[in-house]
Order: sequence, then C-alpha cells, then structure tokens
Amino acid sequence: MITFTIDGRDVEAARGETILNVARREGIYIPTMCYLSKTTPCASCRMCVVEAEGVEGFVLSCQTPPTEGLSVTTHSELLETERVNIMRMYDVNHPLECGVCDKSGECDLQNKTLEFGIDRQHFSAKDQAREIKNWGLIHYDPSLCILCEKCVHVCNEIIGDDAIEVQFGGYKSTIIPKNSDELDCTFCGECIAVCPVGALVSSEFQYRANAWELSRIPSTCAHCSAGCALEYEIKTGGAASVGQESIYRVSNNFEVATLCGAGRFHFDFTADTSRDTADFSQATDALRSCEAIRFSSVITNEEAWILQKLKETLGIKLYNEDARHFQEFMRAYTMKSKQLHYGASLADIKASDAIIMIGSRISTDNPGVRYAMTEAARHHGAKISYMHPLEDTLMQNTITQFVKYEVGTEEGVVALLALALLQDADLDTEDKNILDQLDEGYLSAESNVGEEEISLMMNAFARSTKKTLIVGSDLLSHPQSHNIAKLIGLIAMHSDFRVMIVPKHVNTLGVSLLCDLDADEQTASVVGYNAQGDFVIASSGARDFSVPALNQQEGTVTSVDKQVLPINVAVGFEGSTLNDLASAVGVVARETVDYTCKLPESKGFQAVVFDALENFYTPLGDDVRGYYLSTRHIADVRVTPLQDIDELPEFNGTVVYHCEPVRQFNSYTAYHSDEEDRALVGSPQFAVAAKISDGDQVEIALRAHKVIRHFRVDETLKGTVALHPTFDLPLEVLDGQYRFEKVKIMKVGS
Amino acid sequence: MSKVYFSTWRGEAINNFGKPEDAWEESAYKLPQQYNEHADSKAFIGWDGVALFHEDVDVVRLATEYAAQYQVYSEACGRCAPGRWGGRILFDLLDKIARGEGSMEDLAHLKEVAQTMQTTSKCEIGKTVPNPLLDLMQHFEDDFMTCITEQAASKHYNEEINYIAKITAPCTDACPAHVDIPGYIEGVRDLRFDDSLKATRQTMPLAHTCGRVCPHPCEDECRRANLDSPISIMELKRLGADYETDHGFNFFHPAQKKPSIGKRVCVIGAGPAGLTTAYYLALEGIDVDVYEDLPVLGGEVAVGVPEYRMPIDKYNQDIEAVKDLGVNFFTNTRVNADMMRQFEKEYDAVMIAVGTRLSKKVRCENERPEIEGYWGAIEMLDQVNLWEKYGIGENVDLTGKTVVCVGGGFTSMDVVRCSIRANAKKVIMIYRRDEKTIIRNTTYEEYHEAVEEGVEFIFHSAVSRMNDENDVLKSLDFDRFELVPDPDGGRAQLVKIEGGGFSKEVDFLIPAVSQSADLDLLPPEWELEMTSWATILTNGKDYMTSRKGIFAAGDCEYGPMTIVNAVGQAKRAASVISRYVQNGGKITLTDDEIMEDHLRKMKVYNKKETVSGWLAGLPRQVSEKLHVDIRKDNNNEVNLGFTQEEALSEADRCMRCYYIAMVAH
Repeated sequence: MITFTIDGRDVEAARGETILNVARREGIYIPTMCYLSKTTPCASCRMCVVEAEGVEGFVLSCQTPPTEGLSVTTHSELLETERVNIMRMYDVNHPLECGVCDKSGECDLQNKTLEFGIDRQHFSAKDQAREIKNWGLIHYDPSLCILCEKCVHVCNEIIGDDAIEVQFGGYKSTIIPKNSDELDCTFCGECIAVCPVGALVSSEFQYRANAWELSRIPSTCAHCSAGCALEYEIKTGGAASVGQESIYRVSNNFEVATLCGAGRFHFDFTADTSRDTADFSQATDALRSCEAIRFSSVITNEEAWILQKLKETLGIKLYNEDARHFQEFMRAYTMKSKQLHYGASLADIKASDAIIMIGSRISTDNPGVRYAMTEAARHHGAKISYMHPLEDTLMQNTITQFVKYEVGTEEGVVALLALALLQDADLDTEDKNILDQLDEGYLSAESNVGEEEISLMMNAFARSTKKTLIVGSDLLSHPQSHNIAKLIGLIAMHSDFRVMIVPKHVNTLGVSLLCDLDADEQTASVVGYNAQGDFVIASSGARDFSVPALNQQEGTVTSVDKQVLPINVAVGFEGSTLNDLASAVGVVARETVDYTCKLPESKGFQAVVFDALENFYTPLGDDVRGYYLSTRHIADVRVTPLQDIDELPEFNGTVVYHCEPVRQFNSYTAYHSDEEDRALVGSPQFAVAAKISDGDQVEIALRAHKVIRHFRVDETLKGTVALHPTFDLPLEVLDGQYRFEKVKIMKVGS
Repeated sequence: MSKVYFSTWRGEAINNFGKPEDAWEESAYKLPQQYNEHADSKAFIGWDGVALFHEDVDVVRLATEYAAQYQVYSEACGRCAPGRWGGRILFDLLDKIARGEGSMEDLAHLKEVAQTMQTTSKCEIGKTVPNPLLDLMQHFEDDFMTCITEQAASKHYNEEINYIAKITAPCTDACPAHVDIPGYIEGVRDLRFDDSLKATRQTMPLAHTCGRVCPHPCEDECRRANLDSPISIMELKRLGADYETDHGFNFFHPAQKKPSIGKRVCVIGAGPAGLTTAYYLALEGIDVDVYEDLPVLGGEVAVGVPEYRMPIDKYNQDIEAVKDLGVNFFTNTRVNADMMRQFEKEYDAVMIAVGTRLSKKVRCENERPEIEGYWGAIEMLDQVNLWEKYGIGENVDLTGKTVVCVGGGFTSMDVVRCSIRANAKKVIMIYRRDEKTIIRNTTYEEYHEAVEEGVEFIFHSAVSRMNDENDVLKSLDFDRFELVPDPDGGRAQLVKIEGGGFSKEVDFLIPAVSQSADLDLLPPEWELEMTSWATILTNGKDYMTSRKGIFAAGDCEYGPMTIVNAVGQAKRAASVISRYVQNGGKITLTDDEIMEDHLRKMKVYNKKETVSGWLAGLPRQVSEKLHVDIRKDNNNEVNLGFTQEEALSEADRCMRCYYIAMVAH
C-alpha cells in the first residue's frame, strides 16, 4: 500500500492503482471526458490533470500511480483555467444541434459545458466538412465526435472485434473501420454505449426519442447464460397509453459491464395474446391431462420451480434435454470434484493468464465469456488454447493456440488434457490406473491432437499463475459426457485450473438445479412450455396459449457466474402467467415471485424475497445484482470410477455443426434475423464435398427434422464441417444433442 | 558552432540585431546552417527554440508554417484534446495575423492556447510546439504588431520558401535504426500490439531480434532518465512481435508491398544488414536476390548469438517476414569475384552485407592457428549454433576441458557462456581492462549472468604466449597490467607489471578480440576504397562505395558493431538504392533523411533538461530471468521477458517525447 494525500486527506493506493482511481474511491471529484473504468486510460482529454507537490507542471491522474508521501491537489485556480480551456476547445465548432441530437440530456459534453460555464465559443478554428457514415446498426457523425477514443478502446480491449481505429490527422482525426472500408464487426454496439456524445448512435434508435422521455427498467439479458445487466428503456408518454408502452432501446452500465449485439438490439421479443387459439381453461385442462411438460431453459427460476411443483402435484414428467444433460454432466463432475457447482466465474476468466477453452464456438455461444477472454488476453497477456474442430476467425486476436481435434473425439482430447494436467496429482488408485493405462498414442492419433501440441500448451502456461478451463456445450451433449465430466472434475479437484462449464441458455443452470428431469421419451400428450408439445404454452412462436416473455415478467435467472439475477417487467402483458395456470391446477401462489425466497437452499439458493434483490453496479464497479449461489461441498456423493476409453468415434461424410451466427440465440432473437443469419455456411472445401455452391437453396435432413436453407460459402472457413444455425428451430430439435451432426444435404429448387 | 543572427536554442539568448554579419555572436550548437550541398538554411525552429541564419527571415510566416507542420504530421496529434484543437487554433490564428487579418484579441488567444497546450498536452510535441512560437512573439513583437495594426501580410507571406519538417524523439534519434520508439510503446500502452509492431517495422524489420539482443543505445538517451530511470525500451518491442507470432497473424508490414517495378537488386549476405536491405527494397516493389555463404539464413545472429539469448524460432519469424515479401534466398552460396562481376552486370544494384566473419588474433607469441586448441570465436560459435539450432555439423562437448577466451565484447560473452553450456570444466575470460569497462562494452546483465553461470573473469591481463607440445596447446602465459591514470585526464594507460605474469594449463584458447571482414569476393580491379579498419568505405549517409551501383552496409562497412547499427545503415541504403535504380543512377537523400542526419548531429537528447509534468519515482520494470541453476546447462532463453502487467506499467512510464523540428531554406 502506498500512503499519500489528496487535497490534504490521507489516502492509500494499492500497487498500480492510479491517483484518479483512489480519488474516485474516496469520493473526490476529478473531471474527465475520456476515462472509462473498464479499459486502459485513453489519456486523450487531459481534464484529469492534478498538481503534485514537488512536481513541476501537472500530472495526469488517470495513468499515474502515486508515490509514497505524495501530496496531490485536485482543484486550484491554475487547474481550473486549463480545464476550462480544454472545454472551450471541445466546444470549438461542435454543431449546435442538441435539439435533435439523440444524446441530448445524457451527453457528457453538454454536462461539462454547463459545469464549466462555457456559454460562448471562445476560440475559433476553420470548420470542416465531415461525412456522416452509416455502418448498418451503427451511425457515425464525425462532426459530433470528440475523439475521446473510448469506442476504440472497448472494441479492442473488451469486445475483441478490434474493428475501429482512430485515423490520426490532428484536427481532421476521425474514427474509421479498421482494415476495411465498411465496418466489419459483430455489431455489439458497445461503441454506441460508451460514446459520451452523439457521434456514435444506434441507427434504429436515432431520432426516435429523447433521453428524458425514457424510463429505465433494470433487468438481466434473456439471450444467453452470461447474465448481463441491462436496462430496458421504455416510453410511456405521448401517443402510448398505459399497457402499450414499448421498449425503445437497451442500455447498460458501460463503465463496468458489457453487452453483446443481441442484448443491445434484440429486445423486442414481447409476447401478446392476440394469436392464442385456446383460453385459460383449455390451458389448465391441458396441464391436468398431460403426461409430461416439455420446456425450455429460457424461463425464470420461479417458473422452473413451479414446473417442478406441478410435476410433484400432478405426477407428470418434466422434459428438458438441455438442462438434463447439464444436470447429468454436473452430477458426474461433482463425483470427482466434490463440489456441487463449478468453480470459475467470469471475473476469474478476466483475471486469468492461462485459459483452455474446449468444446464451444464461444464467440457466439456466449459472448460474455468471449469478452472475458478478450480482457484476459489484452490485460493479462493470457495464453489461450482454443480446442475445437473448427477455427473461429473472430477469436484469432484472442487465442494464442488453436488445437484442432477431430469431430467426436472430445473424450480422448479431455483425457489427453487430464494426462498432462494431472501428472503429479494424488489421485485415487482406481482413477490413476485408468489414466495410466490409457493408450496415449491411440487417443492422439484418433483425435489428431499431437503430443507436441499439448507440450507447447504446457510450456506456454509455464509462467502462468491464474488458470481457467472453460468447458463448452459440445462436451455436455457428447455421448460420452459422463466420463468427460469425471475427467473435468478430476482436473478441477487436482490441478491448478479453475473450471467453468458454460450453460447454454439463459437459465440452463437454474433449471438444472431446480427440476427433477426425465429423459424425453417423446410421450404422447405433452404440454410444451416455451417448447413443442401437443398443447403449447409459450411466449414466442406458434402457440395455443400465451405467457409473458422474459421482459414482461418478474423473476430470477441463474447465470454462468452462478449468480441469481432479477429480471423485471419492461412491458406489460395482458394475459396469464404460468403461476396463474399452476394456481388453477393446485400449485398455488399469489405471485410468481412469491417463489423467489423458496428456492432450495440445498442447491445454493438463498431465502431472499424478490423485492429485496438489488440490480445495479456501484459507482466503483462492484456488482450488487441479486446474489451468488453459495458453494456446496459434496462429500457423500456416490462415486463411480473413470471409464476406460476404448474407442473414439469417427465422423465422416457431410457434417454440420449446430451453432448460431452473431447476435442470434433463439426464438427471442430470431425476429430480428434475415436470410443471411439463417443460412448454412461452409468453406469452399465443404461446398465441393457436399456438391453445392454458394447461393444454392438446400434441404438439410437432420435427425428429426428437415430444413430448407440458403447456402453461403465463407472463404475464411476451413475444413469440411459447415455451420448450421438453430436459433430459428424449435429448441428441442437440438437441445441435448451432440452439436456435430452427420446430415444429408440436397440442393432444391433453383 | 553555427553562425546565427538570432537564437533561443536550448535557452541561449543570441541576438545580433543591428550588428554587421562578421560581428555576429555564434551559437554553441551544431545547428543545420547549411541544409544540404545545394542550399543554405534561412532558419531552424524546433521544440527548444528558434535560430535565424539571416536577418531577412519572415518570422510571422515561420511561426505560421511551424504550426502548420504540426498539423500535417498525423502522428503528432489527434491523440489529445489540447493538441488536436489547440494546434489547429494556433495555426488559424497565426495565419490570420500573417495574412494581415489578425487582431490583438487573436494574439491574446494565441497565448492562452499556447499555455494550455504547454501544460496539458499528451506528448512533448504538443507541449513544445508553442515554445519557439512564444519566443518569436516575444522577440519579434514588432513584426507581429505590424501585421495586426497595418492589417498587412507579413513580409514574405506570398513567396516560395521551402519548409522542411521532421518528427523525432530523443530515443528515436539515438537509435541507429531511428525506430519510432514512442510509437511502438504507445501501441503497447493502448494494447494495440499490431500498431506497435507496425511502428517498429517502419524502420526495423527484426522486431523479435532487437527486442532481445539490442544493446539499446536509445536507453542512454531516454528523457525519462532525467526524471528517474530510462524506459526499458528494448524489451517492450517484443510485445508487438509476440502478438503477431502468438496469434498466427499474417505479417503486419508497415506498408503494402508495391507491385514489381521490374528492377533487380542483389544482396550478398543474409545477416541483419542483408535482411533489412532486402525487406525495404522488396516493399518498394524491387525484386531482390540474397546470396548467403552459410547453409542457414540470418548471419551472425543465427550462427553467432546463442540460442539462450536469441531463440532461433523467434529470429526465424523475423526472417519469415522478409521472405513473405517474396525475396529470393540462395544459401550455401559463397560469392566470389567472378560472380560479383556478373552480378554487377545482371542487377541494377549490388549490396555487400557480408559482415565481419574473420576472428582477429590476440597477438601473442607462438600464435599459430594450426596449434590444436586454438579456436577462433567465429568458428567456435558457428559450430555450437549450427548444431544447437539446426542440427548441422557436430555437437561441441567441452567436458573436462579448460577454456580461455580473450575478449571483452558481446562475442566473447557468447563464447564463455556457450562453453559453460558445453560442460567445460573451467571457463576463463581474459580482459585487459577492468570490470567497469567490460560492462560498458556489453551490458550489466550479460556480465552479471556470465558470472552467475560460473565464468571466471581475470581483468587487467593478456595472453603473452601459447605453449604447445607437438602443435597441441598445453598452457598459456599471461601478462598483468595496471591502469595508470592519464595526468591530462585522458583514457587511463595500461602499463605492464613487470614480473607480474602467470601461467595456466589450458585446452583451448579462443580469441574473441575482434573480427574483420572477409572481402575476398571483391574483384581487385574494382579497387574499392577501404577504411583504415579494412572495411569498405562509404560516406556513411548513402552507403554507396567508391564504385557506382555497389553499396555496402553493416559490419563490413562499419566494422564489428551492433545489429541495430547494421539495420539502420541497411534501411538507409535500401531507401537510397530504391531511388537509385529508378532515377537513372542518381544518389539522393530524402528531406526526411537529410533532417535525420542534421538532428543526429545536433543530438535531440538533452541530459540537462528538467522534465515537467511527470511524477518521478515510478520504478523501471525488470523482467524475470531464468534461475542460474536451471539455465546454465541448456539453451533455454534466459530472459523471460515482461509479463503483460509489467509491460503495461513500463509503457505507462513513457513520456512520448516527440518533437518537431523545421528548417526553412
């Protein structure tokens, strides 16, 4: 700790902590225009200069750590003069169009201009014509841009797209797409979020509303398990009447949190009852008479708990293949790790200097995890081994080693990892024997993961101290997932790697903890809850009876961080909820969220009532949303030994990998998709092998389903596995199934 | 010493107003009074003041143009608010005054903006641009006032005058390759490692290499040293290079390779100078063939510098970057005079970059190369490195042997440390001077690490005689010396201590005193002019030899020197050659290169300057080194480099000391 003073107050700084950080922590105000908590300092605005005793001139507080005994002054006449002059410069030729600017009312420039009392243009410089750019979802007006560089920093350091840069040119400096004429990125919109002025705005939101007309509803993103905090901004005034409010945009606390493009732009998935074919009594009848309820993991913990209660009360079965596979995987994992939950959090990933990611196309499976990996790479120089049959160009600037394995050989690959990571581990004799007897040569040959690749990986990790293993859903749904889970459990227990097992949907983890699930036997008489069934109760897609979507109800979801997070009502829903239906068939509660405090403590949940759950970040960036599942050590679990690995499967022929394009996850995001998103995408090599060409309409015969899709060749892809989207298909078509699938593809039509 | 009419350079106050020219007081600095052989300078203006070489200079326009140049150089600004807007406001206001439309209020605003830029700008360029402008406004107030009160343009406002500007920095100036050091460090600080590497590669293609084995003269002229201790400049170069390699990117070249222009250049030698020449010529669209005597590419860095200091896979990455531009390499090809005659006809230009690969003798009695146990440093290192890095030849095993190396430079350090790794029983370094000098000639780290590994250093000594039996080395006799200070304050004299000699039984004597160039390839009838060091003579600016179209760079031109020196020379030579082959054989320097030479002569770094605006006392980061016990018997890289956190802290210490200088002629 370094002791020093700010404005006469004794303060302490941790190693590497800057003067600005300490000041903020201590509640001492230093003005900034370009500072962003989550990135390295942009250091462009120079507003945060302070005086330091014994130092001639001013010191930049955002990038200077203090020295012992230093005496810092944050406000003086001299500092004020220079800060005022900087603001005067910022205002030179800034268009006076606040009246129509999207940012007006929440604009840093506007605020600081008022704060520093700049009421006229003090300096002058020749104005310049600047071309407005329309980059798809993103709209850039360079004459409003103050070149703070926040957008460039987040894009590179947090997101990893690294798609924009400053074109240096003094007064003419501007933001441009990097290495291309048009913006080529994942359109996460993070640049819009951090823009302090109206330079970068959402094309869809532009000119639709003023900041002060919008009410903010804090909630949690519904699209994947990352559990990102967001605020639905809704407009109720004007032409909208109560109950007809709509979401105008999604914003977030960009200082500390991040959102992907789906979270930011795909918010309009609200349900209504207009197309219902059945009424309340028919829905309750269906529940009473069904043998099973099939449901998706895109529901709240409370809904899951109600379903569990329905099972107990009505004596029916519960189908959810996604959560069931997760549950089974975790059961096997627990056998060897002795922990109910996996250990790693997103914060652990961000702080890692070594990461192994296996079995996921993580950039689209879970952008939150991807962003955490980006941070690890940038801020900690993490060595990242990405193990997967398919390369992902989006991850190139993040990963340091791509280890390609053959489709289907995940069990062998995980065994090879276990052999490398558990060399000196003190294992049970039985497990040790199994590992010792593994035929490394065979596993290596079949999986195509060479010994030298593993040793390269281990060498790269030689200096690392914070290591994380990220396990993706390819492994969860693998036919050998049970043994894989045990191997992963052993790694968690006996190596210095923390493990994260990435749940697929927004609440896969919650459902897996709350529901006692049955294997889906495709029984007759199934009620689908946000899933296919003989009678469908859902918030999206074709349905018999509507229930509110995840932005129309209160409840909680359990994120990949094992955090129980509140969701809120952004837009009202004129209809019934699952709780209403359940109450009518004997599982009675007044409100859905009455169950929030009743979620089982044995699974790590806490007895906290919904209204007591907070949902915000403190100004210093502390996450005080909901609560974290408490860790549970499981000693008395029935343990079975590892299995020997006798044969690794082979996948020949036409193989597709079920994964989504960027900004797509499920039916909630599907409304905001186009043919391009729904296309089958393959390498030129795949096209040749499958005898199809770019632009063809093709019929893809999946296990239980046929789809017609447009085929697109992507030159950046390699190999003979194509990417097949599933977001527009009913969930259970693919949930719980191994993500690589041998298919028949036929060209159709012309 | 330059004759000036007026100068405020580096705080001097020379004012020869109204004096006849022969009575002018001279400046204490080597200012660029003469721009080049064709032109005299009218004025020099830069970060630390302004100098006028004539009475008749239009100072108002000079100030305006200086502000304009600040606008032109993109890397100079655009990165901070005061620089970005302030620079433009400065220029607009000055130009308004210069063209006769200014007001007193403009003058006041000028001063106000200047003050804000000086105290709050991100880099020194923004902080220092106002300095000479304020000097001019102060000392030539009348000129400015005339423009304002009479609403008249300044006296030469509409005349053609050449204003040549150049961006520099103390470290960049000190680097023989003039690497944009603040640029690549900024890339690290901003986590834009590709930009960092591109900044390096503008003038230095060997980023992995010079992130490891450069003696970093830049760090001796780092302005941060005026505040606390210099930035660890060299090692930060690795971040960009590692980023490219670790993520498997295509090579980040500083510019796109131009399409072939149908010119061919031949390069003899694939060491740092040859690789650099090839790289920058290829970028210009020139077809390059490189001929190399050795079976491998890379020259002395490949076969001289040991693996533990310069892992070959990293060096190969640098070499791959050159290959990536389509350069042709021919290894195992020893070029002789006949081939040279042929090359001269066949190619549009020839670059000789053969280095210095002959070990010089230690000059003792009975020093006969045929004695078994007498082993030139170059030959010894060739054998070690060819085996360790490429598996060529045979292993060097010195088990049970006593090795004496005579030297004191980097090569001798490599010899002794390789001997340790070859399991020698005893390794002794003999050096005529003292510990301090050996550290100055190499680096503290090199010396310290050698001592740690068990090398015995005997100072103030020299081999006087080799004793053999039947041409097998048995022992060596040594003389001892003492340093006698020069009463006139010169370099201390080495005086032999009579009767102070001693002997040692040894198996090997490895002379590593110096190397000379093997220039057998030069056709004798060319009669190339040579230096007194028996290296090829050029003027040190354009690197053409006394024969038209034949160029030389690197050690064979300069004598045994550093990698970065070879790179710097070769980069310049490539630039000259690229014009030479296109403009009918004319030798030219660009304005940028002329300014580069002027600035180096003046020296950008000012040891006495007081640094303002930065907090002193933030520690220089030191990277982790492999522990002696786990490194001394193998070739694992000793310097592990910075962790990301260390690198970022170190980059944060960089003060971005860009400066802009301008000559009017």
